[in-house]
This record gives sequence, C-alpha cells and structure tokens, in this order.
Amino acid sequence: MLQKIYDWIDERVDITPIWRDIADHEVPEHVNPAHHFSAFVYCFGGLTFFVVVIQILSGMFLTMYYVPDIENAWKSVYYLQTEVAHGQIVRGMHHWGASIVIVMLLLHTLRVFFQGAYKKPRELNWMVGVLIFFVMLGLGFTGYLLPWDNKAFFATQVGLQMAEQVPIIGDELKILLAGDEEIVGAQTLTRFFAIHVFFLPAALFALLAAHFILIRRQGISGPL
Amino acid sequence: MSEEKQQVSRRQFLNYSLMGVGGFMAAGLLVSPIRMAIDPVLKKTSSAGEFVNVGLAVEDITTTPQRVDWQIDQVDGWYESKPGRSAWVYKNEKGDIVALSPVCTHLGCVVSWEGSDKHQNEFFCPCHDGRYTKDGVNIPGTPPLAPLSVYEHKVENGMLFLGKEISRKGA
Amino acid sequence: MHRGKGMKFVGDSRVSASRTSQIPKDYSEYPGRTEAFWPNFLLKEWLAGAVFLVGFLILTLAHPSPLGGLADPTNAAFIPLPDWYFLFLYELLKYEFASGQYVLLGMLGIPGLAFGALLLAPFLDNGPGRRPHQRPIAVIMMMLALTATIWLTYTSASHVDWEARAAMDQPVPPASVEIDTSHEGYAVYEANCMSCHGESLEGGAAGPTLVGIEYSAEEIAQIAQEGINTMPADMFKGTPEELELLVQFITSVNEQAAE
Repeated sequence: MLQKIYDWIDERVDITPIWRDIADHEVPEHVNPAHHFSAFVYCFGGLTFFVVVIQILSGMFLTMYYVPDIENAWKSVYYLQTEVAHGQIVRGMHHWGASIVIVMLLLHTLRVFFQGAYKKPRELNWMVGVLIFFVMLGLGFTGYLLPWDNKAFFATQVGLQMAEQVPIIGDELKILLAGDEEIVGAQTLTRFFAIHVFFLPAALFALLAAHFILIRRQGISGPL
Repeated sequence: MSEEKQQVSRRQFLNYSLMGVGGFMAAGLLVSPIRMAIDPVLKKTSSAGEFVNVGLAVEDITTTPQRVDWQIDQVDGWYESKPGRSAWVYKNEKGDIVALSPVCTHLGCVVSWEGSDKHQNEFFCPCHDGRYTKDGVNIPGTPPLAPLSVYEHKVENGMLFLGKEISRKGA
Repeated sequence: MHRGKGMKFVGDSRVSASRTSQIPKDYSEYPGRTEAFWPNFLLKEWLAGAVFLVGFLILTLAHPSPLGGLADPTNAAFIPLPDWYFLFLYELLKYEFASGQYVLLGMLGIPGLAFGALLLAPFLDNGPGRRPHQRPIAVIMMMLALTATIWLTYTSASHVDWEARAAMDQPVPPASVEIDTSHEGYAVYEANCMSCHGESLEGGAAGPTLVGIEYSAEEIAQIAQEGINTMPADMFKGTPEELELLVQFITSVNEQAAE
C-alpha cells in the first residue's frame, strides 16, 4: 500500500533522486567517532543543528501560551510555568537550549578554526557560519526580553543605550529597535518579539540552508 | 551471493537501529511540548459554571419571562475578566423556576420574549424569525433545530443563583 | 542520462518518463575511506545526538528555567546584567580604555575588530598550511581572544552574587494575595517594614517581596531583628508582642499565597 502511494507520487514528481542524493552520498570515515574517538569534535556542528531544532520546536509550542504584550507577557509566562503541565520543562528546554547552542556553536567554530578547515575552497562557508553566529547572538538578545521580568527589562535597556552610542545613526537605530524615543515598553516588546520569532529565524533558515548546501558541494575537509 | 545477502541484512539492521534512535530522539523532544499543548484538553477546569448570585429575589420572579443580566468571574488562563451573561427567567405552571439562555440555537443571535408583535407568548429571534415556545422548545418549521439551553439554578437566602448552561440539543 | 531526441515526459510536465539510474556517485578514488551517509554515518551521529539529548533533558529537569519578578521600570535597586554570553562585552565596558570618552572603542572598536577578524579569518590567514603550527599568528591571536573572552566573562560573573540576585527578584503571583489590613500584625508591619517591603509585601527598591518566602516563623522573627543579606539589623523596633503579631501576619499572608 505504502509502496503504491510512493510509486504514484514518484511517477509524477520523480522524488527518488532527491532523497537518494541525500541518503547515498559518501561521508569520509575520519569524521566518525566510532573509528577514531578524537573525531567527536566533528559532532559539534551536528549537535548545534540539533539544538537549533530543539529551539524551533520548543519555541513553536511556547507561542501557544505566550503573548507579547507588557500587561500579559509576564503573566502568561508565569501561568505557563506554574499552571500548565510540562510548561516548566518546555520553557526550560528553550531557556537552556539558548545557552547550549552558543556553547556548541563556539566549540564548532573552534574546531573549524584550529583545523584550518576554513581555508580554500571553504572561505565562503566560514563566513556564512560566522553570520549564523551573529544571528544566534541576536536571537539570544531579543529572546531575553520576552518574559518581561526585571532582568530582561534592564538588560534590554542597557543594550538599547549601547545601540544609541553608535555614531551618526545611533539615535535612529535605538528608536528602530525600541519603537519609541524614550520608553522601553509595549512597542519594544512587540518589535523584539517580531525580530525573535520571524525576522531572525528567517535569516537563520536561509543561512543554514546555504551552510548545508556548501558542505554538500565541497564535502567535509580532509584529516589533518 | 551469500555475502551480498548478508550485506542487505546488515543494511536493514542499521536502518532499523537508525529508526529506533531517531524515534527515541523525536519522543524525547516532543513528549513535553505535546503534553503542554494538550494540557487544556486534559485539565478541563474551566471556571465557567460556578453558581453566581444574579441579583434577583425569588419572590420577584413571575410567570412572565424577565431578562436578567449578571457578571461571572472568568479566569481564562492568565487573564481574569468579568464577562456578562443574561437569561430569561420565569416560573412555570408547576411553580418551578426556569432560566433560559437567550442564545438562539440556530446561529447564535439573541432571542427575546415576545420579540415580535405577530407571535405572542413566544420567544422570537430577529435574525431568521426563529421561534420558541415559553419553555424554550423550538417551534417546528422555524430555523432553530434545538430548544434553548437552560441554566442550572439554585436558591439561597431567597436569591436566585445561576450556574452552568446546559444544552438541550438532541434532548 | 538520456538526452536529445526520443525523450519522453510524464504528461505535459517536465518530469522525465524514463528513470535515471540510481547508482550513487563514485567515490572509489576519493582519498581516505568513506561510508554511506544513510544509514551508516547518520546512525553514529544520531547515537551521539541521543546521548546529548538525555544530558540536555536532565539539565532541563534539574534546573527549572528562572523567571524574575514582573518588570518594574522604577526599580532603581536592580543592577542590569545581560545573559552570560554577553557578559564579556559588559565587563569590557568597565575598563577605562573602553568607557567614558573611549566608549566607542570599547563598544564598537574592540568587538568590531575581533568579530571582523573572525568573519574574515580565511583571508587574513590565507597560507596553504592547515596545521596549527603552520600558521602561528592566527592561532596565537585566536588563543589570546579566547582567553580574554573567557577571562572577562569569568571576572564579570564572579563579581555577582547570583543567589542574592535571584532572591531579590522573585516572581510574585499575579493574582497577588489580598492583604488583610485589619490583621493586628498589619499595623506593626506598616510601622516597621512597609517603607522597604511595600504596601502589600510586594517588595520595592530596597527590599525583596515577602510573599512566597520559605522561612519558618522563628526565622522571620530573627531576620526582622538581625537582618539578612543587605538588610541591616534592628530594622524592627517594637515589643516582643508586636514581633509575634508581625510574624503571624507575614506567615498568614504566605499561607494564603501558598494555596
């Protein structure tokens, strides 16, 4: 039955080559920790992606309860943590994932750096990777505000004051982020929410796609 | 030949292990989020349905339906509000108190007692000319397909308390 | 692959009716041994992922995500602190050469240079050798930057009393408890504690909330007299009877909050 459905689709869309290409491509053995244990350093990139998946999933579920509004944001997070079964765990996954993903990203970056894996022909992929790092830091900064508790509020205020110090465009940059000249409040929260949930993830997906396509094109760098 | 056969079974074994590990990871990842998402289905502790004093003394209830409006304390997750409710209250022939919901069972408009001059002694819905008899039963041939819902009621210290709305659909 | 004349398509689509061969690409001459991505490589990768996930979930269960008190812009006592991965930047801005008139250097100059160099690393370090000892400058620079970042983060974090910070910033339930102002202890509270701990025990600039605290009656009495953390001693100025009423009042509020 399943085979028939598959054949029906395959005849029309010719999907076999797509997944065969992914499934059958060869991966060098030197990156497999089962062969040389020291190859575990090659896992950092994959684990980073895994945490990104955790973040996307837990984040999607968290928006079922969260409202980006200064009256209700904190209340909804409090409700989620105290009243909803497993709400504490899901928020915990998102909270700890945000830290772990930075750690993993750092380890992955260091692995690539110290192995010199960014050298020709992989310069472009390194730059895409560093951009992913920036996007992650941006996600961390915008996500920190969303629960609307004291530490979120004051950390964001400091961050916005730093943006204000930027020469020439500083004031405009701050208003663009905060939504208001003076107040860090309702408009700031919705902006940060939009950036955290739509803009930066969109950038992240595009960059991740570029990262993976380049890896498939060029293959994993050889052993040292 | 035999070697090739073994190759296939090894590949199958790897495939099954892969599915197992993948399933384990997916389960570990999704158990908590899904439990959280379905929590409202399992909890069902909606605050709607507690008895509320509607501010009407029992002795003031007549055999003519009168409209009462009251507010309930509604806790909707993290949001607390006091939405209004209304009902048509009267005493039937046996002297029992009846509190009917004014929400038409057709498409949710609000019905009123003798809302149309043409139809005396009936509830009338202005949207599609739905009609109900005094006990809230829909009159055949008009759009509604079920009787009006009734509110659970009780009397305390001579005051009327209304509670949960009970649908009479299919009754 | 079939090309040119005689090609057949599915209907009027662009999908070829004749199936291409499904022999994987040839890696036989690729230096070093290889293995198939699916299932050989992915299985090991996912095993590592599963172990990682177990560790991650244990961490999540062992340390619930913290939530502070509702943001209060007037709370002047709160010391802002970013998330830990921005601490190095936060600490950097404390130094003289990175603050005051040099703030741009500290905020944009140094981090901009570091991250710019990171972004352009392949072009700055463009020799052919990949081994660390073949490119000592790049490796030393990276080591220095890494050490500086870790050291700055550590210095910044070690100055913070994390426990006191968390205690200062407890989440107060939104449907905050109703304060029984007719309670005899309330007058004592009003006279001794309210200026710091707020009208409804919600806490304020100088003192944390008293709702949801986990102290016994004796401990509360002791704290009122001897102080705790930043709270000085002898804040309570009353008779022992009044102290007892005060403790009764605070515990009754907490019992109510615990329900």
